[in-house]
Parts: sequence; C-alpha cells; structure tokens
Amino acid sequence: MEKDDSSPGPITWCVIIATTCVLLFLLQKILWLVVPFFLALVLYYLLDPFAKKMVLSGHTHNFAAATLSGIFLLATINVLLFLYPMVLSHIDSWQDTMSRYMTGGYSLIDSILTGLEQQFNFARNAHMADSMRSNVTALQDNFAQHYLGTLILGIAAWLPSLLLIPMVAYFLLKESNHFRQFLGLAVPNAFFEKTLYLSHAIDRAARLYFVGLIKLAAIDTFMLILGFWLLDFPAPIFLGIVVGILGQVPYVGPLIGCILALLVSGTDFPGDVSTAYNVVILFLVIRLLDDFLLIPSVVGKSLNLHPLLSILMLFVGGTIAGIAGLMLVLPILGIVMLLGETLEIILTDKRLMARHAYAVQLRELAAKRDLILPN
Amino acid sequence: MFKLLLKKNVSPHFSKLREVPLFADLTHRELGIIQELLHEREYVKDEIVFDEGEEGQAIYFLFSGKVLICRQGRPVDGAIAELPNGQFFGELALLDNSPRSAQVRAAEDCTIGVLFREDFLTLLETHATVASKISLQLSRHIGKRLREAIHRYVL
Repeated sequence: MEKDDSSPGPITWCVIIATTCVLLFLLQKILWLVVPFFLALVLYYLLDPFAKKMVLSGHTHNFAAATLSGIFLLATINVLLFLYPMVLSHIDSWQDTMSRYMTGGYSLIDSILTGLEQQFNFARNAHMADSMRSNVTALQDNFAQHYLGTLILGIAAWLPSLLLIPMVAYFLLKESNHFRQFLGLAVPNAFFEKTLYLSHAIDRAARLYFVGLIKLAAIDTFMLILGFWLLDFPAPIFLGIVVGILGQVPYVGPLIGCILALLVSGTDFPGDVSTAYNVVILFLVIRLLDDFLLIPSVVGKSLNLHPLLSILMLFVGGTIAGIAGLMLVLPILGIVMLLGETLEIILTDKRLMARHAYAVQLRELAAKRDLILPN
Repeated sequence: MFKLLLKKNVSPHFSKLREVPLFADLTHRELGIIQELLHEREYVKDEIVFDEGEEGQAIYFLFSGKVLICRQGRPVDGAIAELPNGQFFGELALLDNSPRSAQVRAAEDCTIGVLFREDFLTLLETHATVASKISLQLSRHIGKRLREAIHRYVL
C-alpha cells in the first residue's frame, strides 16, 4: 500500500499521545467490555482468512461467520467439558502440588537469602531472610481470607463477559465490509479515497499486530518448552504453554512466568541453585531475543513505532490502566497515530478542502434547482 | 440447503454491475462478491471525482449519469471523453500505480461505485476465475483504447 511521505508534526504527535491517554483512561472504566473485544479482535484476525476463502468460494459472509464462530464456540465448549471432570478429579492432588511448589519456591528463596546473608554484611543487617519468612507466613495465613474470595468472585464476574468473544468475533466477521461501507457514507466525496486508505491502513496494521502477537506467543512458547526440556523440568510442554501465554502481558507476564518456573525449580531440584540461575538465564535470553529481534521484526513493523516511544507509552499505559493498559496501549496508539496522520494530511491539503467547499456549494445549488419555476 | 444461505442481492444498482464491461463475463454469484466490496457514492453535476496528478487509490464504475474526462482546469475545451453510465474509469492509475492522468468531473448528477485498490488487487490474487475474467475484459478495454488512440493520432 502506498503511504504519504509526510510524517505527523509535533502538534499532531501531542494530540495523538493525549488522545491515546484519554482513550486508555476511558476504556479502563469498561474493561469488562474492552478485554473480550480485544480478544475477539485477535480471534477475528485469526479466522478472517478462512472467512474470506469461504466467501470467495460462494458462501455469504453470514454463513462463513456463523460457521467459523460456531466451530470455535463448539471447540471451546468441548475443551471445557473435557477439562471440567479432569479438574474435579484432580483438584485435591493439584492443591497438594501447588502447596508443594509454594514450599519449594519458599525454600529456594530462603536458601538464596541465607547464602547472601552469609556472604554480605548488608544482607545480614537487613535480616532479609527473616523478613521474607514473616511475609510468606502472613501471606499463607491470610491468602484464603483476603485474596481467595476476591479472586473467585473476579473470575465469576469475568466469565460471562468472556462469552462475548465468539459473539463479537461473529459480528466482526459478518459485518466488517458493511461497517466499512457504512463509515464511508459519513465521509464527503473529496476525502473519500484518503479515508478508504485510512480504513485499510488501520485494518492492515491491526491485522499485522494481532497476528504478530500470536506468532510471538507461539515462538516464545516453543523456546520455553525447549528450554524447560533441556533443563529437565517435569511437564515442559504444559509449563511452556502456561508461561508462554502469561508472557504476552508486557513486563508483568514474563516476571510471573519466571517466578512460576523458579517455584518448579525450587521444588523439583531442591538445593540445586544452579537450576534456578539457568531458569533466570533462559528468561533473560528469551526477553533479549523478544526485545531486540522478535518484537521489532514480528510486531514492531506493523505499528511502525519508534522503540523508545513504545517503551515510554508502555509505562504511561501501565500507570493509567494497569495490566490492561500495558496490553492495550500499543494497538490504541497505532490506530490513533494512523488516524492523526491521515487527518493531518486531509486537513492540511488545501486542494481537497477547496474541492469539498466547492462540492458543498454545488449541492446547495442542486437543492435549489427547481425552487424557482421558469416564467 | 447452502443455496438458501446465499445472499440475496437487493441493491438497486446490482443489475447495473452486469452492464459494466469489466464484469460482463461474471456469474451472478461472482457479481455478488464484487458488490460486497463496492462503495456507492453520489456526485452532483460539476463535482470533481478526482484530480489529474492525484494518487490513484480506487477504480470507479458509473451506475447512472455521465462523467467528463478532461485536462485539469479545462473541462470544456480540454475534454478528452465523456463516459455514459455502465462505463468504468480510473483503472490506469490503479494498475501501474501512477498518478491520475486526467481530471474526472460529473457531467450530470451521477451514482458511482468505488472499488478500493486493495480490495481489487486482493480479489485478483485470491479468486482465480474472477481474476481471469476481469483481466481478459481489462485487456480488451485497454486494447480498444490503444486502437482508438492510434486511429486518432497516427492514421
């Protein structure tokens, strides 16, 4: 696709960043709707190529959308039906396993901190191990009382809104063309071609971004599975998938994933601190590969954002809307940036503005054409 | 059962699509695919559709009314051609990615179908049958233009 050479000026950039912040602030108020919509967009871009093939082979958008979303919904229900009895039958053993891994992780941190205290005076004076022990004991005592209820209520509140995902994806697949045509009707003729370009540019950037995210998650998961397998971890595939999915939440996700892997290392390799170091090295290597190779080549190109701006906006997004802000800030910034660029191109193009003003005059004249009857 | 699910083409301009030479060989179903991608626009007499030198992003199909293809700023004495309804224009810029070679103005109130470059090219890339039919008609159209130009300027 051709692109105008002009890049946004400083004022446009200020407006773009301010608009992104305002949108993030507003969207965090309706996260129950934004998160399913965001996931539905990912699903839409995954299913869209198949829908296009079905439409081109003679089916309607309606039929293609219903079939593909229906297949996804059925597959999800089947997986849940398969998982439900399994979860019920294993819940006790999983509880034991979880507490075993928590204890293992606690022992690992304890041994590292005790080692540090033996080596360094400042650590001994800070009583790091004692402080950690009292914190962990408090957390274990109060977890069920303070956090478990909130966690379960949170999951129960979110589940119905997550059911929106296949429904929103269905309407996106079915109505995307009509939606674009409908938006086009609101645009004056003089700006129509530029607006068409804008809608396609946004669609292309969003497609590349979401498909890029999925590719990135798949590559990260594969590297994690390989790393866990090489470190001789139990269930490397399951652990790799869980940590790989968690890792897609910027900054916080990889940290939680690393902690999970350290818990496994502390439990299954008790007293072996070198495995814990290897886990940290594995996560650092994947992080470096992600930041310097994969994100710029797989995701970064789609939004065409400067890396420094991306990092700054991630901090801003996190400050404004927490974890959801971290996930939403880059796609929102990308879309607002394209809108800002195109609006600047249109509003500063004197010829287009003159053509629009002339067309308005012509329409007024056309409306008055038969008001005065000839003598 | 699948036939029941096929979309009914209710647009008043659907029949006009068949009159466009580019789509002359397309089946009803293939025309339905084209219609899904088209944007309908209304232009009043004398309104500019696009300017000479502008970047071409779309091909236009004239459903009703007439347009004037002319040199920029010289609509009357610079008229190159007048296209009646059923014709299409803007295909050259679309094919070779060059700026628009002339200005197009509405000679009377008209309704125009607009097919965006990306949609047009995606259609050609993904649907072999439609692509071959449209390409053949497009070649015939350009060949006809070339013969007319030779007849006008050489003979």
